[in-house]
Amino acid sequence: MCDTCGCQLHHHHHADPKIVEVNQSLLAANQKQAESNRHHIEQMGAVAINLISSPGSGKTTLLERTIEILKDTFKIGVIEGDIETERDADRIRAKGVPAVQLTTGGACHLDAPIVHGGLHVLEHLAKGGKYDLIFIENVGNLVCPATFDLGEHQRVILLSVPEGSDKPVKYPATFRSADLMLITKTDLVPYFDFSMDEATKEAGILKPGLEILPLSATTGDGFERWIAYLHGLLKR
Amino acid sequence: MHELSLAQSLIDQLLELAREHQAERINRVLVTLGPFSGIVRDSFEFGFNVLKESHDVTRKAVLELETPDPVYVCLDCEKVAVIPFATPNDQMETRSGYPYPKKCPWCCLTRLSPKGGTELILNQVEME
Repeated sequence: MCDTCGCQLHHHHHADPKIVEVNQSLLAANQKQAESNRHHIEQMGAVAINLISSPGSGKTTLLERTIEILKDTFKIGVIEGDIETERDADRIRAKGVPAVQLTTGGACHLDAPIVHGGLHVLEHLAKGGKYDLIFIENVGNLVCPATFDLGEHQRVILLSVPEGSDKPVKYPATFRSADLMLITKTDLVPYFDFSMDEATKEAGILKPGLEILPLSATTGDGFERWIAYLHGLLKR
Repeated sequence: MHELSLAQSLIDQLLELAREHQAERINRVLVTLGPFSGIVRDSFEFGFNVLKESHDVTRKAVLELETPDPVYVCLDCEKVAVIPFATPNDQMETRSGYPYPKKCPWCCLTRLSPKGGTELILNQVEME
């Protein structure tokens, strides 16, 4: 009889410890949702891009300029991630495309479950729920967003000239996870101690073969290659 | 601080496993953090130890973390090398230029590209 509760079961309260082999990723729940997001995005007819960078490196400005160039060619939707405010989504809406603002209320990154909610709102905002390109602008942060797959097809990391060319080597996990790296604000190169050579060399060591495009949303320099890259994604 | 979200997903996984195996208590949890996972070991451990207090099942759980040594591929000679991270005891060597900047032990050049090592794995759980 069990001494603790008096039941007749053997080993009811004093069972031997049991060892369970799990071998499962800690990110399994996020990963499962990310796969489902990717499927959802494909059902909407779209390719999704996850934009990651430090705060203030020009993600929203890049999107504004990109939308101006492409909005008559492609159906674009934007999911904006921030800790607070609708400001970024308002800037995108002012360009005439649907935008959903996700506010994390403190969390330093987007994850797949929160983006899932955003996708449903975006789908509701479009006639017929169809898109060609969906941009997901992550919370400005060069550390945490790297760990979370959101269901994107391509991950684009921005590095702006004022931040310094040492960022890839200082934030290796993020740059390693990139499919494309944009060096933004290149019109400011004359005013900052930024070595294009260092930035491209270090990023190339972390991820051999990584495509790197320098551009400026102010002057439009380098935008042809960025736009060509987006066209290339949609042809696949 | 995404360590806290990861610690929370670990707790969720443990509660689910305990339910599945009808266990009342989790004693020991073995987790592998890849050397390039970008997860700060101390923050993750701290998060786990705070969150485990909210559930009777996990309250006594001891977290054991292991981090394999980092592996690099040399982009010059294409050989693979295991180069452990520097520890505070390596100060003398660090000052003399080893192990930072890291060098390929085969060709002595420095273009070392990280290989794998981004895993975050719940390996084993001891429960009763």
